[in-house]
Amino acid sequence: MNLDWLDAFLIFGAFKVVEIMGLGLLVHLQLGLTRVANFGVVGFWGVGLYAFGVAHLKIDWPFGDPYQFLVCAAIATIVAAAAGLVVGWLISDLDDDGTLVGTLGFATIVVILATTQQGLTGGALGLGGLGFPYDFSRVKTHEFTWLLITAAVVALIFAYAWRVHRTPHGRLLIAVGANEALARSLGKSATAARLRMMMVTSGAMGLLGAMHGVMVRSLEINSLDVSVTLAALAALILGGTARVFGAVVGVLLTVALFDIVIQFYLPIPDGWNTQALPVAREAVFGAAIVLMLIFRPQGLLGQMRRPALMRRLHGDW
Amino acid sequence: MTPAVSVNGLSSGYGSVAVLHEVDFTVGHEIFAVLGANGAGKTTLLTTLAGLLPALSGSIAYHGTDVTNLAASESARLGVGYVPQEAAVFPDLSVLENLTVGGMIGTRPHEERLDEVFETFPDLRGKLHLRAGNLSGGESRMVACGRALMQDPTVLLLDEPTAGLSPLYLELFFEKVAEIHRTRGVSIVLTEQNATQALGIADRVMVLSLGVGSEPMAADAVTTELLREGYQI
Repeated sequence: MNLDWLDAFLIFGAFKVVEIMGLGLLVHLQLGLTRVANFGVVGFWGVGLYAFGVAHLKIDWPFGDPYQFLVCAAIATIVAAAAGLVVGWLISDLDDDGTLVGTLGFATIVVILATTQQGLTGGALGLGGLGFPYDFSRVKTHEFTWLLITAAVVALIFAYAWRVHRTPHGRLLIAVGANEALARSLGKSATAARLRMMMVTSGAMGLLGAMHGVMVRSLEINSLDVSVTLAALAALILGGTARVFGAVVGVLLTVALFDIVIQFYLPIPDGWNTQALPVAREAVFGAAIVLMLIFRPQGLLGQMRRPALMRRLHGDW
Repeated sequence: MTPAVSVNGLSSGYGSVAVLHEVDFTVGHEIFAVLGANGAGKTTLLTTLAGLLPALSGSIAYHGTDVTNLAASESARLGVGYVPQEAAVFPDLSVLENLTVGGMIGTRPHEERLDEVFETFPDLRGKLHLRAGNLSGGESRMVACGRALMQDPTVLLLDEPTAGLSPLYLELFFEKVAEIHRTRGVSIVLTEQNATQALGIADRVMVLSLGVGSEPMAADAVTTELLREGYQI
């Protein structure tokens, strides 16, 4: 595959867009449907990243890639899902403020563990040695292929979120998010529904973390930054928390705008890419969240369109 | 015959503060109205019966099965439908979805249950795809009641179903409650401030005053003096 036309940094920019889109879709299921205000997205993503990295680098597997990748990615997904289950259980009786602080606390614990458990994680120095689970001889081909694979995973996450809106489980999640006490009187366990959702979405966040590890080929403590959470939340709030397309539109207007359009297609001075632009990016994301919550809390795409969906599914019945 | 609802020495409240004090009553195959002024403990009683508020002491049984402090979802599975006074619908869901989430338990086909709900509330048929949060107060109560009926309940707990409704809806709603009891054979526990209307459809009545329940009596035996005493007017 001749990829000379493609800038390597552009591949990374697109990877970031796809990755944050996946996280935004998962946050949509948590916040948009079930009203779980997860401010610790980077924690679940980071658990996956580090579980994958440690499993890949510290265990002497009797087989190589791609099986080694598949097993380690499965471990990352399971560990992140388990973390989602535990955190979900711990926050199940908390209000929105408590949930926000609890999930933020979880993300902080993950960062502390990744920093202090040097024997396992490499601590502040990090660990190198991760690689792609295939060999096409050219680095750019590896990265481009990985971008496509990650995009396919995110497409599956999108399809899952799309499907959830149309299932009894999705309706139960919306009911639990809107009025948990009333939902409990429906004969289904609201706590079980919420925990199941937390487990599935956290596991998928962990899988995206593992895929990030492959792309950057190392464990770096700096990657466990609040900017991951901020980017996913800013995109979703901008697009609309209640709509599946909210994360997609939001990411295109935030991460894609900064990490692709401005970075590659605007004539900005050299040096801005590494210093001024990342700072401006965080500031704009933060401002976008504040302004949207004040002036259009439902986001650009607005409220859920359940009546339209029901009309499509059931016609005039 | 085992009563549909047996409440013995039930005390309940918020935290350690009791709002309801050792209430006793049984409900058979009938409409049982709990009357009382604001703050009498009517909502606390129904929330506790629905399993959404833990009992501080005493016991609750449905059809002889002790459900004291059982989770609300378990009570629902035993055939208890609950319609709260406020926030009785899921606003983001359409009317159809509000009804179908009520039918998540039970084995009868949804279509069959929906048809029965439409027989009781025919107006809902034309509003299936509306967002429940955009409905009027009366329409919301119909949806909430319909959702509870989708659970195929044997006991229906209605918390002030006519609160805030216009006189037109008020009369209609009491008629519907009586119809539900008559046609579906559901035992109904109904809390109301509107004594006149409630006495018109109830078989028996208990007056609740500051969390203390009177001796249950036949609806036609209730006197103005008793109501005055209960309502503290």
